[in-house]
Amino acid sequence: MEIFTENYFETGAIILFGIGFVTLMLHSNLIKKIIGMNIMDTAIFLFFISKGYVTNKEAPIVVDITKNPDSYINPVPSALMLTGIVVAVTTTAFALALTIKLYKHYNTIDLEKILEMREES
Amino acid sequence: MIKFIPLINILILILFSFIILITKKEKNVKLMSFASNIITFLLSILLLTRVLLEDFIVLNLGKNNSLLGIQFYIGSSEAVISLTFTFVMLMILWFSNSSVKKEVSEIRISFFYILINILLASLLGVIYSNDLFNSYVFIEVSTLSACGLIILKDKKENIKATVKYLIMSTIGSGLVLMAIAYIYSITGHLNITNINEVIVSSYQSHQNAVLIILGLFTVGLGIKSAVFPLHSWLPDAHSSAPTPASAALSALVIKVYVFMLIKILFRMFTYEIVNSFIIMDIILLLGSMGMIFGSIMAIFQKELKRMIAYSSVAQMGYIVFGIGLGTISGTAIATYHIIGHAVTKSSLFLISGLMIEKTSSKKIEDLKGIGREMPITLGLFTLGAFSMVGIPILPGFISKWYLSLACIEVGRVPLILIILASSLLNVLYYFPIIINGFFGNENLDGKIYKSKKIELSRLIPIFFLVLSIILVGAFSSKLINLF
Amino acid sequence: MDLIIVVPIMLPILTGFLLGIIKPNYNNRNTIIISSTILNFILILYIILFKHNVSFHIVKINEFLDIYLMPDNIGKIFATLVSALWILTTFYSIDYMGNQKNLNKFFMFFMITEGVTIGIAFSGNLITLYLFYELLTLSTFPLVIEKGSEKALQAGKKYLIYSFFGATMVLFGIILLFSQTQNLAFTPGGIVGSVPMGNPNFYLFIYILLFLGFGVKAALVPFHSWLPSAMVAPTPVSSLLHAVAVVKSGIFALGRMTYYILGWEVIEHTKGNDYMLILVLITILMGSFLAIHQQNLKKRLAYSTISQLGYIMLGLVIFENSSYIGGMLHMLFHATIKITLFFCVGAIMHYENKTELKEIEGIGKRMPKTMLSFTVASICLIGIPPMNGFVSKWFLAIGGLERGNYFVPIILLLSALLTAAYLIPIISSAFFKGKPAHDVEVSEPNNFMLVPIVLLAVLNVILGFFPNALITMIQSAASKLF
Repeated sequence: MEIFTENYFETGAIILFGIGFVTLMLHSNLIKKIIGMNIMDTAIFLFFISKGYVTNKEAPIVVDITKNPDSYINPVPSALMLTGIVVAVTTTAFALALTIKLYKHYNTIDLEKILEMREES
Repeated sequence: MIKFIPLINILILILFSFIILITKKEKNVKLMSFASNIITFLLSILLLTRVLLEDFIVLNLGKNNSLLGIQFYIGSSEAVISLTFTFVMLMILWFSNSSVKKEVSEIRISFFYILINILLASLLGVIYSNDLFNSYVFIEVSTLSACGLIILKDKKENIKATVKYLIMSTIGSGLVLMAIAYIYSITGHLNITNINEVIVSSYQSHQNAVLIILGLFTVGLGIKSAVFPLHSWLPDAHSSAPTPASAALSALVIKVYVFMLIKILFRMFTYEIVNSFIIMDIILLLGSMGMIFGSIMAIFQKELKRMIAYSSVAQMGYIVFGIGLGTISGTAIATYHIIGHAVTKSSLFLISGLMIEKTSSKKIEDLKGIGREMPITLGLFTLGAFSMVGIPILPGFISKWYLSLACIEVGRVPLILIILASSLLNVLYYFPIIINGFFGNENLDGKIYKSKKIELSRLIPIFFLVLSIILVGAFSSKLINLF
Repeated sequence: MDLIIVVPIMLPILTGFLLGIIKPNYNNRNTIIISSTILNFILILYIILFKHNVSFHIVKINEFLDIYLMPDNIGKIFATLVSALWILTTFYSIDYMGNQKNLNKFFMFFMITEGVTIGIAFSGNLITLYLFYELLTLSTFPLVIEKGSEKALQAGKKYLIYSFFGATMVLFGIILLFSQTQNLAFTPGGIVGSVPMGNPNFYLFIYILLFLGFGVKAALVPFHSWLPSAMVAPTPVSSLLHAVAVVKSGIFALGRMTYYILGWEVIEHTKGNDYMLILVLITILMGSFLAIHQQNLKKRLAYSTISQLGYIMLGLVIFENSSYIGGMLHMLFHATIKITLFFCVGAIMHYENKTELKEIEGIGKRMPKTMLSFTVASICLIGIPPMNGFVSKWFLAIGGLERGNYFVPIILLLSALLTAAYLIPIISSAFFKGKPAHDVEVSEPNNFMLVPIVLLAVLNVILGFFPNALITMIQSAASKLF
């Protein structure tokens, strides 16, 4: 049990991932699915970034003087996750655009209803 | 200088896509796209010759030996695959010269060429990169450009297909990212070679972690490669996209992810490590089920492109099966099949595009008697189908033969039955098209000979592709020995 | 110049493609195919008489994908048979098919099939045989469905499915075999002997796979039902393909597999031939029984073929010198006999539009020469001395007795009776029923049809009286095996 409470970032990330995944899968409303996707991605970012955290070290920003590299947390994960965030944003934008298009065609954003309607087209 | 070719390839493609963005005239757009692809193709040939001489090339962007730098590694498999992909893309572009107008509205034609360039750039990026995060970035780019290609055609089914593809792909990417995060947290490296060194020495103490990572990578990349049972996006996506896009998607896109899996499984974790986990058996199982299930579903399809798309699912099954065997020969065959299937499936899709265009119908039953109307076209289709079925000398047969031999090597002889059963099933859905096309009286009734003849100029790219099918078969031994 | 052995294969295939591309009219086409088949026959004779021990690698991709030709005695004999009969069938089909449209496609595949069959005859290793075997299915399929009717398409589909199923079994067997021996070349005595004897059950499994797989084309029970269905094809196709090319290729492949790949000692060790013997005997009897019940003449002959192929296979599963000779002889004799029978029945169908047994009463008086040839061929098939059918059955019986199998001669006798039972009604109905001879006017088929028929009948008689040359040739091949 201590593992879960000690690494609370990771635990939190996994719970968030689960929430996001479930939202993505179970809701039929497209917007909710997109939100779920975002939550999932955020969870992964959290997981990754938290891996870079070293206890009691500072954020890697040079304020007045450059300190010994040992006193900063690992900046690499944060940098990498920036890319991830960008990708997530792009995907969300694309998905939202698609949702608008779907709404124009089908007048609903309920995915199940759209799937049923497909048969007639 | 040749060392920089991978980078040059990718940069040129992206650069030209930007140029196309601001080009107004359609003619110039096509010219730009063509030029960029020819350059990449020629450079790939150079790359291959250099790699054949020198075993492999490593290209570091930025400082050498930096732990987190972007690194490209070109071994013989990467070079050959890169050559194949650029060649196939070139042929697809040549074909699309005449067919893009018919399926995509005027304003969007330049977008098509932009997206193709970006797609190819990102695919090449995934193939070349030796760096997990670099690969991840390129994977994302390829997903988005592939989605873009599908949505170019503005019909309802396209939008639905794109949504499905996007959602499933994102889940896949998410899992892959999770796996990368996990690996980083264990090993502290992102470079595949470096991770390999660390893993080999210390995996014993992290058995669970390795298992989870392998699982995440397999499922994540599997979703994007349409591995059974995560393939449900593929039939919709590949059948509703414009024809050249379908060809590119089926022949090229789904392959890079499984190639990435090969790199991860066998270069990052070595063969011994991977074989000690149950994950290989699961991959094998999924591959077999994909082979059979894909073919069975294909038999029931009424639309031509959907049928070919399900056939792609089955063929990916073969590749995954080869990986699942867990031996060097299995992997070599999987790589060979990647190439063989790339040329075959692209030609089949392009031909089906021609047939659909001329008969104005997507359904298979409307293709009866088409042999009399478009004999050369159907003849080329026959050749492609023969390769799928497994007539000797063609690459399909060679893949099956070597896969079977690899099965025996591992001692799992009954698996050969699955391979053979699936080739028989292939007969059941490819041959009716050919038979109904060429033979059958009431089929041929009323069809005027060569009435729907396609100008030869449009068929030339397909000719080249089909020719390459035969060549790939003929030189198979040399190719396989390379891997 | 070893390249010459590729020519008899490529010449017909190229002729076929030529027909397909330039689409000549009736007369030109006839000239082309007649000259091509005759040329081919002469070439093959030349190869047999003057070229010994030639071989040729068409394309060698790696150590197993090696398309390799090496005609040996048995291969040469088969090739001669095929090319000679092809000439006669060409003449026959020119008359039979007449001047319909779209015959160029028909003759294109007709010629391609000849090339492919000779490829099977000349194959030097198992993978070449397999390649030509698959090509044979593909090239004969358009011939089977030539009529284009719904029934024809159904028959064609059945043919394809059976053939591919058989080919898949063969491929499985080849892969398993290759994994042990790394070599697929035909060597008298088999290639397995050189490899340390592993698990005999493994080789039993391979033998059964290959036997059943090739047996599909050889109409082995229970894979025989494609053959009667394929009778919907035009008669030249039924006669040539289903008496000569396709079924004999299956038999030929069986022979190669048994004696030149696995080796009969290995098979005997695994007792595989005993199991197959059961199937073979069932084939012989069932074919004859079912033939008696057929009213349609072509179907009757089809079941007769199934039964007669069983005879040949009998020669291949009883491992004695004599039965091998008997089997090979029957492979040749049955071809000539059956093609005669089919040609006669085809003449009746073409000129009088009669297909059923009850319709042909008195036809012997209208077409005396034709039905006389039929009678001669029937006598040969039943096996009455001194006809050729008797010679082959004699050898088979002797082989059986040498092995100690006493019921082999009994089965042969029984089946000879059955053969008579299904052939004699045709003859008696033709000659002894219907209007008396002087009331009927004689209207024989055209010479293009008639001459081959009579020639074949005479050939059968000659082979019966003077079989020794053939026996010597086969014996020289057999001596390397036993």
